[in-house]
Amino acid sequence: MNHLDALESEAIYILREVAGQFKNPVLLFSGGKDSTLLIHLALKAFYPLPLPFAVMHIDTGHNFEEALTFRDELVKKYNLRLIVRKVEDTIRLKNLEEPGGKFPSRNALQSYTLLDAISEFQFDAIIGGGRRDEEKARAKERIFSVRDSSGAWLPHNQRPELWDLYNGHISAGEQIRVFPISNWSELDVWQYIRREKIELPSLYFAHERTCIRFNSRLVAMSDYIVPDAEDVIITTSVRYRTVGDMTCTAAVQSTAQTIEEVIDEIEQSALSERGETRMDDQISDAGMEDRKLKGYF
Amino acid sequence: MDVLRFITAGSIDDGKSTLIGRLLLDTGNIKSDILESVKEDNDDVNLAFITDGLRAERQAGITIDVAYKYFTTPNRKFIITDAPGHFQYTKNLVTGASGVDAMIILIDATIGISSQTRRHSMVASFLGIRNIVVAINKMDVSGYDQSVYNSIKNSYSEIAIRLNLDQVTYIPISALKGDNVTRHSYHMPWYTGPALLQFLEACKPEIKADDGRLSVTVQYVAGNNIFGRLVSGTIKRGQNVVVYPGRITSIVKEIINNYIIVEEAFTGHDICVQLELQGTLMRGATITGIGEGPEYSNEFEADLCWLDELSEVVLNRDYILRIGANEVVSQVKEIISKRYIETLGYSNDQKSVSVNEFARVIIHTSSNIAYDNYSQVHETGRGILIDITTNNTSGALIIR
Ligand SMILES: Nc1nc2c(ncn2[C@@H]2O[C@H](COP(=O)(O)OP(=O)(O)O)[C@@H](O)[C@H]2O)c(=O)[nH]1
Repeated sequence: MNHLDALESEAIYILREVAGQFKNPVLLFSGGKDSTLLIHLALKAFYPLPLPFAVMHIDTGHNFEEALTFRDELVKKYNLRLIVRKVEDTIRLKNLEEPGGKFPSRNALQSYTLLDAISEFQFDAIIGGGRRDEEKARAKERIFSVRDSSGAWLPHNQRPELWDLYNGHISAGEQIRVFPISNWSELDVWQYIRREKIELPSLYFAHERTCIRFNSRLVAMSDYIVPDAEDVIITTSVRYRTVGDMTCTAAVQSTAQTIEEVIDEIEQSALSERGETRMDDQISDAGMEDRKLKGYF
Repeated sequence: MDVLRFITAGSIDDGKSTLIGRLLLDTGNIKSDILESVKEDNDDVNLAFITDGLRAERQAGITIDVAYKYFTTPNRKFIITDAPGHFQYTKNLVTGASGVDAMIILIDATIGISSQTRRHSMVASFLGIRNIVVAINKMDVSGYDQSVYNSIKNSYSEIAIRLNLDQVTYIPISALKGDNVTRHSYHMPWYTGPALLQFLEACKPEIKADDGRLSVTVQYVAGNNIFGRLVSGTIKRGQNVVVYPGRITSIVKEIINNYIIVEEAFTGHDICVQLELQGTLMRGATITGIGEGPEYSNEFEADLCWLDELSEVVLNRDYILRIGANEVVSQVKEIISKRYIETLGYSNDQKSVSVNEFARVIIHTSSNIAYDNYSQVHETGRGILIDITTNNTSGALIIR
């Protein structure tokens, strides 16, 4: 079987397991390529019916305009049920401290908003677009990942997970995070997007943007970051490899305007996807692991 | 390009992590920022750190849970599961080894076969893994000596015979130096077999045959739409089928595959079907062909591997048995025999089965359940036992 067929089949099977095993699942959707891919896989999995669950955006407020527009268009086109919960509201309600500094990322605070939304809607399964090749901690996570009542991942006490027999039994208060595209690489995602003619936000293709250069990374100028006088501001042709909170997602210099060209660039890139574009993982070697222990995706 | 899944197994320090690091590095699958992050103070790359992901694991210097790694060559996408070597994590090894096409068992040439080697081989035998590679590692420290290789090969072949592992390939390697990993080693001209990567590229994945008996695992039902995977055989519109549980006959009205209404679908397809059926059918049902039955009973024998460290098997206690998407209440009625790592033989010891142990058991179910022999349809010939109080996946079963 062709590798894209095999990966697609695995993902569809997992999504159907979620629909079959849980009362109230939700799919996390940000307008980024991985969660967009998930929606397309789910559309295929449940055709001719509409998606049997809602999609939810945990909105940091630091959005790329293009991603938001894309999100709303996709929701409209496929008649999806969209829930939006804002980190801003969590900060206000819980009296949390707004992150400060040059790049005040609300990325880590998303966990609070996510956990609140999970208890508000009583979600029992939360489908996410995490991939094992993104990061070392993700590489260890099961497809059905049991989280305790505080949303924490228990990496040393994971359930055995055999064959495709995903065990979704949980006790009250627990939840399962589900990762249908665990086994996809960045390249697989792009090849599949090409094959299935999936539309993405324009951010993923080369465009002119004004950025500041920070630690050899390009961070888009926006109202959310606080540049210093000595920062070098340049306008250049860039694209994004990942799309998240504007304050912690870096662009890459690129002239790739088509999927073909993007695939060529990825194949030649010397840097990994998160390494090149995520500032939040750079903080410490165990950045992702720490966030997962606190309920992160 | 197709997909091959394989697992590396070995005792602590046999060199698993180094080997995986070496495979990724030599096939150009490690990006420079990742390479930077695994450099030590003296600037040497520590190949093992590429897979030892969690902080606790780095601190302890061992792999605790299964890590998944990926690499591609022009012909294949490889999914590697790096499983822990420690005996207390055998359950994690079983997790990692379930569903793989090949297992690489690492043996440290300076130590030889250990009880871990026997344990890993037992897991391979239990799961019915066809392609086994015995990679004899650290040949660089053993002077690349053919007699070291031969002696380990000879001892292992006895294990292979006892465990019915009939396709074993022996490869002398140095994970650290790269000998016989992605290319042939000049240090061992006496070895004429394939290098490890060459073997993996040629290795046949578990093939699913379209001419097998028809079996659809029903995962989700909404109204008349039945969503499931055709795990074996071919299904045709208009065909007569039998639905379990209940053994009800019916006709296939419509098949949808990949957004299209089709006349027939084949093994591996994730389909949506509608049946000419009185009443509704539920998740867990199995759709089969006429007269080629699965077995349908409330009692069967199976091989069991216990995965739960909190409790051992309690006879006649209720567990949830899951086969495919079907779940029924069941009990372990009898322990027929146990199989020990030390001897690899069966014994009539009927003491309970605890974590990381293997046994032959009789399973009783509260209602009839459809199943196959593992050799006939893998998906309906294997299952798990779920603890009803902790919800843990406590046991793995193979019906053979
Ligand atoms: N000389 C030599 N040392 C090796 C070889 N493979 C691994 N090692 C060393 O053996 C030790 C354990 O290796 P590691 O990959 O961490 O083993 P693991 O516990 O099986 O993952 C490390 O110090 C490695 O550098 C080899 O082929 N030759």
